[in-house]
Amino acid sequence: MSTAALHAPRRRKPWREWLASYLFLLPALGFFLLFVVYPMGKGIYISFFDYSLSDFDYVGLDNYRNLLRDDVFFKSMRNTLLLVLVTVPAVIAFSLFVAMSIYKMRAFGRSFFRAVFYLPAVSSVVSITVVWASIYHPNYGLLNYVTGLFGAEPVAWLGDTRTALLSIIAVLVTTSVGQPIILYVASLGNIPASYIEAAQIDRATPWVIFRKIIWPMLMPTNLYIIVITTINTFQCFAIIQLLTSGGPMYSTSTVMYGVYEQAFKLGHFGVASAMGVMLAIVIGIISFIQFKYFGSDVEY
Amino acid sequence: MAAIRNKLGAVIGAGLVLTMLAGCSGNSNSNGATPSGSAGSAAGASGTASAEAKPVEITWWNFPNYQALDGEVGKYEKQIIAAFNGKYPNIKVNLEMITFDGGPEKLNVAIATNSAPDVIYDAPGRIVDWGKKGLLAPLNDMVTDEVKSDISDAFWKQSSVGDQIYMYPINTAPFLMAVNKTVFEKIGALDLLPLDKPDRTWTLAEYEKALQAVKEKAPDVIPSGFFAKSQAGDQGTRAYIANLGVSRFLSEDNGKVAINTDNAAKALDWIVKGSKDGLVVSGAASLAAADVNDLFLQGKLAFTLNYSAVLKAQNVPNKKVPFEEVLLPFPTLDGSEPKLEPYVGGMAIFDNDSAEKVEAAKKLVDFVANDEVWGKKNIIQTGGLSVRNSVTGLYGDDSEYKYSELARKFITDPPTVADGYADIRTFWFPELQRALLGASTGKEALDAFAEKANKAIADAKAKAGK
Repeated sequence: MSTAALHAPRRRKPWREWLASYLFLLPALGFFLLFVVYPMGKGIYISFFDYSLSDFDYVGLDNYRNLLRDDVFFKSMRNTLLLVLVTVPAVIAFSLFVAMSIYKMRAFGRSFFRAVFYLPAVSSVVSITVVWASIYHPNYGLLNYVTGLFGAEPVAWLGDTRTALLSIIAVLVTTSVGQPIILYVASLGNIPASYIEAAQIDRATPWVIFRKIIWPMLMPTNLYIIVITTINTFQCFAIIQLLTSGGPMYSTSTVMYGVYEQAFKLGHFGVASAMGVMLAIVIGIISFIQFKYFGSDVEY
Repeated sequence: MAAIRNKLGAVIGAGLVLTMLAGCSGNSNSNGATPSGSAGSAAGASGTASAEAKPVEITWWNFPNYQALDGEVGKYEKQIIAAFNGKYPNIKVNLEMITFDGGPEKLNVAIATNSAPDVIYDAPGRIVDWGKKGLLAPLNDMVTDEVKSDISDAFWKQSSVGDQIYMYPINTAPFLMAVNKTVFEKIGALDLLPLDKPDRTWTLAEYEKALQAVKEKAPDVIPSGFFAKSQAGDQGTRAYIANLGVSRFLSEDNGKVAINTDNAAKALDWIVKGSKDGLVVSGAASLAAADVNDLFLQGKLAFTLNYSAVLKAQNVPNKKVPFEEVLLPFPTLDGSEPKLEPYVGGMAIFDNDSAEKVEAAKKLVDFVANDEVWGKKNIIQTGGLSVRNSVTGLYGDDSEYKYSELARKFITDPPTVADGYADIRTFWFPELQRALLGASTGKEALDAFAEKANKAIADAKAKAGK
């Protein structure tokens, strides 16, 4: 047998391969089309209708026009963006700080802290929110009791426009840091010690080591955490529903809460769909920016 | 590659949000079909055990309107169904218990996706709205002349849209305030409560004196409650402000808002000042009606706004400390008679395009409301009073039930029958919050509410007139 014959590509049946590939893909593709693409399309379609419990009339862009004239919608959009702008960096900073503090610990200590911080992620949001509601209670809350020990006047944390959104953010941050801490601890463990040792020999300061070695090496993890936390924050609903119902004076109302209120409380499904579409556009733009600026340094 | 990633990110982001809208994807408008008319037989009104030729299956969704038997929600309802099946063996009733928290949303989704139940036991706020939208079967043929004349016109008005009756009214109780009488006994200030008057009416000045006494002599107890967090229990705040300010919430014809009077505005300003002076619970903007009633049941609050004989009965197992509560009417600025919104419970039938199911559902409604054995028993299980004038004394000598029966004379039209009521409600608490947080005066808040609510009423009327 000649060498050429030995190295000749084995003859295949491309159509069979093609068919097999698509058959393997089919179940997942079916679910994707049925539960993602179809509802997306239907949601967009409904947004052009006055769709309530008894009506289904085509109204063109009226739902969008009305939303753009609605002060409450703009307030909700502003709150949503504020929530994301504060929560995402806070989650990144806090979870990275905790991960950096515990990743060099012995196995027991590391596992203990990981479990402690991960606990809210596996607990019921409702249970956590009920606990926070009692902490924030204006008359009998733990927080006012503690601040009172230092002579501070009681504050209606959830009943004051100056503190309500910050109070929601605090709850959101505590429930969002579990997974990022786990991921950061794992990623930090994967950074070769020799890089850091070499930098230390060259007398690099801890800040320089972090900025020049650790942070760039964490970029894939950062990107994942930023995108996931951003989307989770955009979808934050239960905490707001249970703690403030969007008040006081719409100061904690978000677009997602507005979607719920319009659709399920008032039965205005067309308006709710238009809100959903507008939120999707905003998320799309923000995700694009995140991939553009954080994705460029990622090496897989 | 980067471009693909960017696009993928955008698609994933959009997909995640829009997936949440999946629940909105229902069919268009087959719900909106006109009522079937349900072929005028006096369905079940006679109560005869006529043999059903064909088995029928209906679904009954029920809020916890009945007190739970042995702590089991739905157990009492199952007993009703068993008794009903003794009379109508060919009608199978599927019971589904829903909660006051998530039930309304569940109903909206069910209606929008053509999976509404056949029968619902609810209140006029939602039922009248469904009736206006043509989702219910009219019940006129069920109402005999005897029943019609035994129930006051106020209740029929709340159960109807025009001439069509959509809710069969069953139980009622005027919404009132309640006071922790034990607190007043302890501080020796029982004489400050209007309990020596049979109708217990009182003025704002007398009420304020009672609050001051609690503040001074029982510093651990908050004198009075108020709330503005979420819609549940909003009638309590409406009635409180309307009575303190001797005003109506809506005009006589329910065509526009009437609460924005100078007196009602002063009442709201009084509440705001009271929260600063320690007469009203602080942080009311972040408290819901349930939070305030919880404080009351914990013995930490002297007066609560949202109470009734029904709630009193339901709250017995929820009391954290033993105390005696007494029902009171809302005080008025000048001591004039209060105007109380009633709780009315009744049953309605969804028109699910099946005349057979509608007829079977009417038999169930008639059984629940009028059966010789179960009719009265059912009302007692709700803890309320009968809407029938001829049915009284269900609870023997209980003083609070006797007072509730007396207070029925103060009942007024509730705003639940107004066009666009569901939308009107959404404007109420944000404006109360504005006033409570000092962002507006009482008058500015009530005027702003009136402007938005009047627009909602006009929009709803215009839509209904299409």
